Amino acid sequence: MQNTKTGDFRNVPEGESWRSFLYRNIYIFSAVLVVSVFYIINPSFLSLYSIQNITREMAPLLPMACGIGFVLYTGCIDLSIGAVASAACVITGLNVADVGHWIIPMMLAFGVLIGIVNGSLVSRIKLPSFIVTLCAQSVYRAAAIVLSGGGSQNIALKQRYLVNWMSAIVFGLPLMFWISLGIVLACLIIERNTKLGKSIFAIGANEKAARLAGVDTVRTKTMAFMLCAVGAAIGGVMYAYKLKSSVPAIGDDKFMMAISSVALGGTLFSGGRGSALRTLVGVITVISISSGMNMAGVDPLWNNVVFGIVLIVAVAINSEKGIRDLIIK
Amino acid sequence: MNQEILFTTENIGKTYGVNTVLQGINVEIRRGEIVGLIGENGAGKSTLLKIIAGVEQPTVGTMEMNGKPFSPASMLDANRQGIGMVFQEQSLISNLTVAQNIYLGRERDFSSFGLINWSRMNARAREALNKMGLKDISPKARVRDLDFAMRQMVEITKVLDIVSETANNRALILLDEPTTVLSDAEMAVLFEKVRQMKEKGNSVIFISHRLQEVLQITDRIYVFKDGRQTAEVRTEGADEYILYEKMVGRETNGEYYVSARQTVPGADVVLEVENMSLFGSFRNVSFKLHKGEVLGLCGVEGSGKEDVCGVISGDLASTSGELKVRGKRVKFASPGDARRAGIISVPRDRRDEGIIGILPISENISVSNYEKNAAHGLISNRRQDRNAREWVRSLSIKCAGVAQRVSNLSGGNAQKVIFARVLDSECPILILDHPTRGVDLGAKGDIYALIRDITEKGFSVLLMGDTLDECLGVSSRVIVMKDGLVCGEFDCPADNKPDQVDVVKLML
Repeated sequence: MQNTKTGDFRNVPEGESWRSFLYRNIYIFSAVLVVSVFYIINPSFLSLYSIQNITREMAPLLPMACGIGFVLYTGCIDLSIGAVASAACVITGLNVADVGHWIIPMMLAFGVLIGIVNGSLVSRIKLPSFIVTLCAQSVYRAAAIVLSGGGSQNIALKQRYLVNWMSAIVFGLPLMFWISLGIVLACLIIERNTKLGKSIFAIGANEKAARLAGVDTVRTKTMAFMLCAVGAAIGGVMYAYKLKSSVPAIGDDKFMMAISSVALGGTLFSGGRGSALRTLVGVITVISISSGMNMAGVDPLWNNVVFGIVLIVAVAINSEKGIRDLIIK
Repeated sequence: MNQEILFTTENIGKTYGVNTVLQGINVEIRRGEIVGLIGENGAGKSTLLKIIAGVEQPTVGTMEMNGKPFSPASMLDANRQGIGMVFQEQSLISNLTVAQNIYLGRERDFSSFGLINWSRMNARAREALNKMGLKDISPKARVRDLDFAMRQMVEITKVLDIVSETANNRALILLDEPTTVLSDAEMAVLFEKVRQMKEKGNSVIFISHRLQEVLQITDRIYVFKDGRQTAEVRTEGADEYILYEKMVGRETNGEYYVSARQTVPGADVVLEVENMSLFGSFRNVSFKLHKGEVLGLCGVEGSGKEDVCGVISGDLASTSGELKVRGKRVKFASPGDARRAGIISVPRDRRDEGIIGILPISENISVSNYEKNAAHGLISNRRQDRNAREWVRSLSIKCAGVAQRVSNLSGGNAQKVIFARVLDSECPILILDHPTRGVDLGAKGDIYALIRDITEKGFSVLLMGDTLDECLGVSSRVIVMKDGLVCGEFDCPADNKPDQVDVVKLML
């Protein structure tokens, strides 16, 4: 007999129709479709160089997408992840020369702090997550711009050795991609094998019932926001290491890409269903689209037009029948 | 009274899934008649009114109004044909004014070129309110600024206005417990209005838990029990005692509730409630729960018994008083705290508060005790599934496998999953809030047997029964609550259950 895993999609009736099979696995089909299309347009899309490039693009987006997954599983939303990533990128870029690798644990702590503030406002004071994180977004985005003096600043050439290791090629792919895969694995374990992860899904699926069953909803929700902000901070650090500079606008369109990835993975926006593994496939799709369009010579300004449409379509397909309720909590 | 028949139902029935809540209802309402519906909670009274008002559709049966077939598609449709309902829960929109509420959905009468003539609407509302004798309510007042009684009167005004517009004094007004929030003076006004409506030839169906009122205002009374119509009584010459008897009706045998295995409670007090109060709900409640005991809490809805359990299960915070678990004083900030102290509840509203619908059975069972299946800090899903399969077997839950979504299970099986959850939590004190509500007969028997099993093992149960019969049948002792106060206590040994009529008298 198969085992069940939280947030997984095992509730499959025997002898299901091909249609429901298609719907259930649509996240894989869409990834395959996107990759095939760009491969046909330009066969070098799947060259080693291109794959290295794609995985390098994927690396910072993965922790952000997996992080916001936790908040979405509870049925809330975090609009601030792009801004948090920008702030983390700026702080890292400006200070890595002075503090060296200590910047990484410092940024993790930064993420924890932001997450606890956002999460407490949502879970303890019971403000809508939409409003709390919209305000947080405004604050951190402005902070990133102020700190960086309004524009990007490169890390001095002399100090580049501090950040270059992250882009080194290990087993054919960039090191930072392997680190991100490790983060995906960690998220998967949290989702499937910890009380925290299981409680997060229970809250998203039915908060009232979870609370009466003894789940500590306040603590669990706060933790979900914390994981999310930590993911965003890691993403920001990786952008700084990857771009070798502090870029205050880096996160602006990353929120859209992260949330599109999660939606393409079939995460239910009303909460209670989703998986980091599926988000990984969603990130592959999203990055393939942006890189593929880039290689096909499309102006990158079109990216967000595409992701806007992708997000709508993905949510429409994945919504639970009957409950098309998007973020309301 | 007129003998002309206004409205009839023929063999009306309603089922939700496998669950029959109403069957074989044949009522007859004459013109200018006030008819009472009485029965215990869940007897099907409100369901029948909702069907008549077009809110719900009957599963079987037909209705006739004015001799013509009547099958309203919606409440609006019923309104147009002269039937209007005043709901138990108020349906006014609190941020609109009184006039806006009365004419909600009928603004067209006051509009020209898409703009509403508010002064004309307010004037019409003034007239309607005056007709009801509500001279001191301003049509421009916002509903949220009115007290509950006034809102109720506005609600009634609204319904009357809607139906009298079309019905020409052949209206049927449905009142579902309209008096629960009214003071005596307000009730007198309401009754006077109801009588005036009657004089003009309109008919009224009236539901109330207060039998005195029913006797005071109605001409004829239908008694409902377990979704059936069990008696019809002419009010003239009837008294409360006769009604009690008809309501309680059926005597069940001890076998149904597995009384043979009813435990004699031990001497150890596991839970003690001392002088507990919750402002606006109950006052100075004190009782003790012993090891291996089933303690029943009886009372009509709104007697405060639900909130007493809410406080004990950590869902609500009491305003004063003490709670002791095994002699130790406790204060719960959340149901999680209560669970850690060994108290967990089976909630009343299974869909909304019980099951976590989109998650599989296995997750639903382990949610109250994840630690049980953990080793080295990580939860093993294999162990969690094995554990769930054991529960599925021992409670004979019918399902395709533990990976099945709980929302796909029938009411009885879903309820057993909740029982598996609370038993899996290993909490020795269980609060069962209507544990057999919406559960089919077979599963009911299983649940009663299960309650016997766990009390034999030394668990203690605080029970709020779905019916009085069940509460007395299952409990070893019952406490009766009325209007927020404990007003009586009965021992219920297996061979000598108290008379239901005595208990009902205290409840009402």
